[in-house]
Amino acid sequence: MLLDVLQGSEAGGFIVIQDTIHCSGRELLKCFVNTALKREDAVHILGFETSEEELRNGLDNNCALKLHFHNGYTDPLGWTNCSLFTVKQFTTEHIGQLLKKSTNPKATTLVIDSLSWILRHHNPVTVCQRLHELKKGGSVKVIIALLHSDLHQRGIVGSICHLATTVISVTPGKRERSAMAKTTRRSKSGKVMQDEEFFNVTKDYAVTVQSRSSYPEPRQTEAETTEADPTANLTFNLRLSEMEREAKEKVALPFVFSQEKKSALLKPVKGSGRILYEPDANDDFDQEDPDDDLDI
Amino acid sequence: MFPELNSILNTSPDNFKGGEYILVSDKKADASFLIHHFLTFYLRAGCKVCFLGLVQSFSHYNAVSQRLGVSLIQAREKGQLVFLEGLKDSLSVLAQESPSDEKHTLDYLRPPCADLRGLFEFVQASVNQTGSSGGALWGPPVLVIDDLSVLLSLGVSVGAALDFSHYCKTTICSELQGNIVTLVRCEEEEDEDEIEDDSSDMLLRGLTHQCSLGLRVEGLSTGYCRDIHGQVEVWWRERCGSAQTQRKVFQYKVHDKGASFFARGTSSAVL
Repeated sequence: MLLDVLQGSEAGGFIVIQDTIHCSGRELLKCFVNTALKREDAVHILGFETSEEELRNGLDNNCALKLHFHNGYTDPLGWTNCSLFTVKQFTTEHIGQLLKKSTNPKATTLVIDSLSWILRHHNPVTVCQRLHELKKGGSVKVIIALLHSDLHQRGIVGSICHLATTVISVTPGKRERSAMAKTTRRSKSGKVMQDEEFFNVTKDYAVTVQSRSSYPEPRQTEAETTEADPTANLTFNLRLSEMEREAKEKVALPFVFSQEKKSALLKPVKGSGRILYEPDANDDFDQEDPDDDLDI
Repeated sequence: MFPELNSILNTSPDNFKGGEYILVSDKKADASFLIHHFLTFYLRAGCKVCFLGLVQSFSHYNAVSQRLGVSLIQAREKGQLVFLEGLKDSLSVLAQESPSDEKHTLDYLRPPCADLRGLFEFVQASVNQTGSSGGALWGPPVLVIDDLSVLLSLGVSVGAALDFSHYCKTTICSELQGNIVTLVRCEEEEDEDEIEDDSSDMLLRGLTHQCSLGLRVEGLSTGYCRDIHGQVEVWWRERCGSAQTQRKVFQYKVHDKGASFFARGTSSAVL
């Protein structure tokens, strides 16, 4: 599924790559850039977190001309007066102007590295609105954004992810040099697909996905062992067949006082004793004080 | 300077990598011995060092460095070291009612100023001296900050601290191929669930996204021990090709002059 998203050229898409401090999503972002360049798309990068050299490092040199880096790294706040792109210029009009450089809007990819930087300096509501405008504006085919999800409140991350058509969460894998990507993809019909894959990033920024069979998940095998049926080798029977149930229901329990038992007990038996009591005058039995005759 | 740590990090004063952002953090332990290590390391390496000492006085740093064999006074006189004595200077800023116009370095202490632009301009100016007065006397510039989280308690927001750190990174690491060492202290949280909005944790996470090498000092979970003072987790971020960070954990003991590092469970008290 990760490879589908990587290769996919669906228009109007918005892909969010979520990462945390434990696993960086920038390598995956570079893979997306690389694939877009190989598709001969024009790639515009709003770069706040990495320098141009660092970003270009390792990418295919043949397609480098198609890559437009808008430098928000050197001076994003206008402190040193050499700003090329500031964070305040994150407006639909300005980005529209930047994108005009590329001729074909149908083959333009906008990469934001990273949304966390923008969210730190803009109201989250404004950011969402502008992303939505960009998405619907038709000047770009697809927007790919990196988001450090552990730097924001959950609500903000949630609202960004609601805008996205695809969300990829990157977490560390079990083995070294591999990471796990949890992909959630919303198609236009509203169907939501989810998948978890282990992937590797090669030196020339291509993604290789390890198949599940070749990558036994330790967690799953653990679950299998715990799920082993504890009732398998019992010396007694836990379930009843229909016949057995009927037989069981017929048996009267020993201490249940049924009608038959009662009558059997109350039936007078021949030859048994009887108590006859006729109260005389001395038997002045007082109901209120049963111990009256004890003379204490 | 601790030779053992150098071999762990695979560097030496004669041969070290430029453009690195080193983040030192501590939790339930004191990581300032690493600050002293890096300070003496870069002074020995002949770098131009800008030191923002926000938590201790100059004489304290000088006393410790002297034990490690480097004199800060000499380095300062030679122009190799630029020292911002945060404790002393901030007091004069706070005591002074009317703001003086000539210095904006500690502007963040005054109410309307929300960003650390003044402090960054100080760093930039001291780092750029290499070209003008001293010629090519000193090597690549190095910024050492002890510690950044103290700014949070002085009323600076996490975002402003991260912006400051970003600007330092662009100027020193990318432009001038120098290095940055930053110390961040984490509060000891009593409740594990409340980590979400703790500002020092937020600062640590933000800086972790920026840094290239991290050293995390922690106390032993089992409590104080005479022979092992704690453990250091070393991690390298974003080495080419691997999306995941590399980690190594060592235990350490700080001595009078230096510190020793060893693999877990191999201290002299155990073996």
